[in-house]
Amino acid sequence: MEKIQITLDINNKPYDVRVYPNDTLLEVLRDELDLTGSKESCGEGVCGSCTVHMDGKPVRSCLTLALEAVGSKIKTVEGLASGEDLSDLQQSFIDHGAVQCGFCTPGMLMSADALLNVNPRPDEKTIRKALAGNICRCTGYAKIVEAVAHAGNPQDHCPDCKTGSKTVSKTKE
Amino acid sequence: MRLPRFDYLEPANLEETLDLLSTHRDDVKILAGGTDLLVRMKKGLLKPKKLISLKALDELSYIKEENGVIKIGSRTSLSDIIHSNLIQKKAEALFQACEKIGAVTIQHCRGTIGGNILQDNRCHHYNQSEFHRSGRQACHKDGGKICYARDEADRCNSTCQSDGATALMAIGANLTLAQKGGERTVDLDNFYTTDGIMPFAMESHELLKEIAIPIQGAKSAYKRLAYRSAIDYPIVCAGVLLKPSDTDKNKIADARIVVGAMGRAPLFLAKASSSLKGKNLTDKDAFKNAADISMNSAAPFAVHNVGATLEYRCDMVFEMVFQALEQAAIAVKK
Repeated sequence: MEKIQITLDINNKPYDVRVYPNDTLLEVLRDELDLTGSKESCGEGVCGSCTVHMDGKPVRSCLTLALEAVGSKIKTVEGLASGEDLSDLQQSFIDHGAVQCGFCTPGMLMSADALLNVNPRPDEKTIRKALAGNICRCTGYAKIVEAVAHAGNPQDHCPDCKTGSKTVSKTKE
Repeated sequence: MRLPRFDYLEPANLEETLDLLSTHRDDVKILAGGTDLLVRMKKGLLKPKKLISLKALDELSYIKEENGVIKIGSRTSLSDIIHSNLIQKKAEALFQACEKIGAVTIQHCRGTIGGNILQDNRCHHYNQSEFHRSGRQACHKDGGKICYARDEADRCNSTCQSDGATALMAIGANLTLAQKGGERTVDLDNFYTTDGIMPFAMESHELLKEIAIPIQGAKSAYKRLAYRSAIDYPIVCAGVLLKPSDTDKNKIADARIVVGAMGRAPLFLAKASSSLKGKNLTDKDAFKNAADISMNSAAPFAVHNVGATLEYRCDMVFEMVFQALEQAAIAVKK
């Protein structure tokens, strides 16, 4: 089994890398390209901590071969911020205390970012459904849902972070 | 967890794929989304020498209606099925099942309908790490002669936990299997062996190409029970189809009840289904009776190998079937 030369388009930058057929995208990101934001936890698609975007859609990088990612536009958690400036979503996570140990956060951010890209004003039910594939063992999810809701509506008043509303719009059944 | 070594093949079209399958046969496995296959490979349950990726086979990704039949390409993503108006309106059970598979991150482009139907049977004694399995004798599915799920069983009792297959069997789907130089069509009812080791009646050089669903003027529904709303496999599920009579819209002309996650294959329950013929759509007692027959018919097939206790799962067959029948009846009356 020989290494294969491929080019991956990650966060709008081309990366030339030599990979084995059995290398997952996550292993290449972390071990070859030093993009260690995406985390490996369960390694079998259950926890969601390795979530990255492929062509704008959230996927499990632990269950995606690096070879399968060739030709797709990949976005990792490192691609959310512009330099030192955090994205609204990242800032909202900090402001609302949605990060405790932080291990699930890169996956949560990527799943939430994919949701907000297609639905900028999601209600609570929509947010919980979009994040259902991501496990967090610290926060109890409430803070994360609030952070995502506020990131989608940053203009609203919020007593928590002084710039927006803490209230999550309830789903109309 | 590292994947074992393999060679990666990426054919450009269906013809090349069938060529490769016919050449390599048992040495290869098909990689569609990989959400079932790669997990099994990581656990050392499967060590194929080569993987054939369907990445370039966009020709197997479609949903269309032709001559009263819905045709779905086997590589169609679950996300495409969920967002298809045709499926939502005319194959409700499949829509409801696909919505429950995995999570959004699995449904988008990675998880495919073909992969869901062909996902391997599972058992909590077998789907474990290599380290866990190395501590005891191998079971039937692992190449040994023991079943940990049922004492003295002479065969593997692993459970088919596919949501898609249960829903598709309920709505009378059939599969087109292609091989080099030809293809054949098989009803989903006849697609399963009674062996948990290789549950599907298909050869290693065959490829699932298409799923066809007849539009019968009926309504269907799917219900499932799982611990976690996302990711988890069902511990009991039921798909039902209710066809109203042409002369009296309130009477049931035909019904199909299929229960999943209770045996080596989804179970079409003929006695329970026929008990509904001629009954009124508002007849709750008839639904309860059918659900009761379903529970009694399915229980002997199940073994304690997918999490919850066997008694609980058997009791829940009644609930899933009854709820699905009620939901389908409401859809018919609309």
